[in-house]
Amino acid sequence: MPLWSRVTGTLRSIFHKGRLDRELDDELRSYLDLLTDEKIAAGLEPERARRAARLELGGVEQVKEQVRDRRLGAALDTLLRDVRYGVRTLARSPGFTVVATLILAVGVGATSALYTTIDAALLRPLPYDHPDRLVLGQKTRDGVPNGPVSRLDYFDYRDRSRSFTQLAALADFAMIQTVTGGDRPDLVRTGFVTWNLFRTLGVAPVLGRDFLPREEQGGATAVIISDGLWRRRFGASPDVLGRTLVLDGNARTIVGVMPPGFRFLQDIDVWSLVDRDGPIDPVRDSHSHLVIGRLKPGVSIEQAQADVNAISASLQEEYPATNKHKGLQLADLHATMVADVRTSLWVLMATTVAVLLIACGNVAGLLMARGQRRQPEMAMRAALGASRPRLVRQLLTESAVFTPLVAAAGVAFAYLFQDLLLRLLPVGDLGVNRPEVGAGTLLFTVATAVATCLLVALVPAARVSVSEPGLASGSRVSEGRRSARMTSGLVVVQVGLSMVLLVGSGLLVRSLARMAAVDLGFDPDRVLSAQVKIQAGTYPAPEARAAFFTSLIDEVRALPGVVSASAVSKLPIRQPWTDWPVWPSDRPRPAPGEGLSAMSRWVQPGYFETMRIPILAGRDIAPTDGPNSQRIVVLSARTARTLFPDRSPIGRTVSIAFTGDEPFVVVGIVGDARINQLTIEPDAAFYLSSAQLGATQMQLVVRGSADPLALVAPIREVLRRLDADVVLARPTTMTSVISEALGGYRVVIVALGVFSGLALALAAFGLYGTLAYHVGQRANEIGIRMALGASRRDVLGLIAGRAAALVGGGLLLGLAAAVPVTRLTRQLLFETAPLDAPAYASAVAVLGLAAVAACFVPAWRATRLNPVEVLRKE
Amino acid sequence: MGGHKADLLRGTLDMLILKTLALQPLHGLGISRRIQQTTDGVFRVPPGSLFPALGRLEQEGWIRGDWGESENNRRARYYRLTAAGRLRLGEQEQHWGRIVLAITKVLESA
Repeated sequence: MPLWSRVTGTLRSIFHKGRLDRELDDELRSYLDLLTDEKIAAGLEPERARRAARLELGGVEQVKEQVRDRRLGAALDTLLRDVRYGVRTLARSPGFTVVATLILAVGVGATSALYTTIDAALLRPLPYDHPDRLVLGQKTRDGVPNGPVSRLDYFDYRDRSRSFTQLAALADFAMIQTVTGGDRPDLVRTGFVTWNLFRTLGVAPVLGRDFLPREEQGGATAVIISDGLWRRRFGASPDVLGRTLVLDGNARTIVGVMPPGFRFLQDIDVWSLVDRDGPIDPVRDSHSHLVIGRLKPGVSIEQAQADVNAISASLQEEYPATNKHKGLQLADLHATMVADVRTSLWVLMATTVAVLLIACGNVAGLLMARGQRRQPEMAMRAALGASRPRLVRQLLTESAVFTPLVAAAGVAFAYLFQDLLLRLLPVGDLGVNRPEVGAGTLLFTVATAVATCLLVALVPAARVSVSEPGLASGSRVSEGRRSARMTSGLVVVQVGLSMVLLVGSGLLVRSLARMAAVDLGFDPDRVLSAQVKIQAGTYPAPEARAAFFTSLIDEVRALPGVVSASAVSKLPIRQPWTDWPVWPSDRPRPAPGEGLSAMSRWVQPGYFETMRIPILAGRDIAPTDGPNSQRIVVLSARTARTLFPDRSPIGRTVSIAFTGDEPFVVVGIVGDARINQLTIEPDAAFYLSSAQLGATQMQLVVRGSADPLALVAPIREVLRRLDADVVLARPTTMTSVISEALGGYRVVIVALGVFSGLALALAAFGLYGTLAYHVGQRANEIGIRMALGASRRDVLGLIAGRAAALVGGGLLLGLAAAVPVTRLTRQLLFETAPLDAPAYASAVAVLGLAAVAACFVPAWRATRLNPVEVLRKE
Repeated sequence: MGGHKADLLRGTLDMLILKTLALQPLHGLGISRRIQQTTDGVFRVPPGSLFPALGRLEQEGWIRGDWGESENNRRARYYRLTAAGRLRLGEQEQHWGRIVLAITKVLESA
């Protein structure tokens, strides 16, 4: 039973180690005695015989070490011994252990959190059936993608294309609707989809049925509700199917409930059908739909594009008035959905990896400094028979003891960061996988922790193998050339990496400052906004609707703390787009894509005053511009300039594509304001009188004299008195709309700022440690120099020179790395060049200051050395 | 140690020890001296090689050590071959024979 005997042998050598060692001791003693006897028999005197025997035996301890090394299970035994020793060493210096663990764990945790997010959002496929076959279609003008597709065009693409198993569409907005019929009115978000959207995605209702093709032919009342609404309003009751849901006064029938967590591009409570003759996109000029297609097996996206292009070409011929220059571009659905966060995520990942590397360098430096102090211990061990590989193994094991600590703390940090990241970055919404800390994260964290600890351990271990272990050098340890070079290298790399991060955050901070300083064209400060929607059924006549909004605004204006109030059809920045061709009525309508298409907004009187958009010429929309008076329009400066370059537009008429031939008289010109996006130039716009259009849904805008959110309750009260069925929805301040729009940038900037701060602190700490160590190592030399007449200044110069070399090297390395690296972040920058001089200059300055601070203490200590004391220690 | 003495081939020492013990039980110094004598001083086995080998062979179960009295009344650990050790020695001798034959063939073919 050789195997069995091996196993018992191994166990014996571990568990009966003491007895084995005692026996070995006895045996060696007996060997020595026998040897002595032999020498005596050969004629030596007992004393000389004993010495000769001792010499022949050699080092007893070394023999014992060799025997132990060759025993079965020797490796395991050594490992256990090293682990015990490592734990003891760590426990003996708890400060070092805690600092090193925290430094590494922060790095490991942040890396894991980002990995989890990147894995969920970018790497893992979308949670739909065969998501790689899903494509998103966007409208193009002259080949340039520009947003949603017209519903009527979509129907033609669906009927004529041959590349898709399904081609579906959904309206690009969610409509806020009021549910009545229960105890209280409730607001829901309604999405409009074609019958086959869920089939295209490969998702089916968990309860009830999907939409049917014939229901799309018009007049259908079927709706499917979300799991959330089902629980909220129907208590998850299974008999919800067939029940009636009154939406904005229209009865709808619930036919299905979607699975929990199902989301696609929008946060929706109720899915309703896009009608063939419904109200959204009634003409080919109106574009409000996103097209989602599932490619047939074996059809590539290029083949599908060619198919679609052919259809676009024939549509251009059939409908020259609307479809000239128009096309449809297909793109991978997943890539399009994560386009906004991809760069941010990778930048953050690169940043955390950089911080982790700096942390590794730091802890390696700490370990090495400690290793230097342990030089005598190592020399002693080597003299007692430990081979060099044995010493290296010991150091590696000591670092490995770290690993569980780092991994455990790393997991905790990963949870923390993941939570933070999700709250700040728009990831996990809209149908992209939601990142969750799970087995994958844990595995990644442990793997990172192991790799990190190994990396950290390799440096001091490598040093042991190159250093000459010798007791001779004893306490008079001088700084070895190699170890000095290695610590210096570590510090230079740390400084360089911090430099890159500082430049990066400098660039982003500059971008943010530029963005915040952008002239919006309106003043968002102290403006409250909320949606108000009245039922068309309750207010059938445009006059009644106008009267409702007029009296609402009048009453709100009368509230204390209100400076001015008005309403607009769509809030700037939060509700972008809706543009229509507009042209001077005395000219023919321009061909599609050639004339001006301006943002169209309907407003109540006083909108410009409330938003502080200046009236440049003419007048504001007045209460007298009602349903029965002359149709009027107010143009933005850019619209006025484009349509009437050489004459005053006031009093002239313009035509607008959606109103047929009816001319609108221009009564005023107002300043340009940013409507769609903070980061692009103000859009051309025109403003109509909402009273003349009979709008039922408006965004109330109220300028307060103090905190505008304090006005929410009084306004609700006013509304309740006017019509108890009308809800004040989503009250928000204009300032928070703006910061939300800056949100993505903010997160990256805050994260990068925090990380560069951390990196800077770590690098400064490393610099400090290296210099302090350097001063300690050269204390003798400095003492001798001072004894020989060197001044404090000379000593200072000695240390400062070393510091300057380290920092200078790091700066150069950092600059060299920053130039190509920051180019990669160009996408995140706003009106800031990747080689922005102030960003680079401030990075150098901050790093320089940190370096001076880090060097001060060691340099000062060096000048304070007392030569007599130092030399006495010899 | 010293001059022209041959380095023990790795694994060969084990075989030599087993062979030595096949004749009679011996203590550590005895084994060392017997090998030295038999090989006319070509192989010397220093304690640094001997004891690790003995410890290992005993753990493998090929030899067994028991305390006993030496001829001049010293306490000493005597090793003897076990049945498993005898088998092992046979295997090693065969193996060695093959190697010697192979090497001889190479040398004669030149």
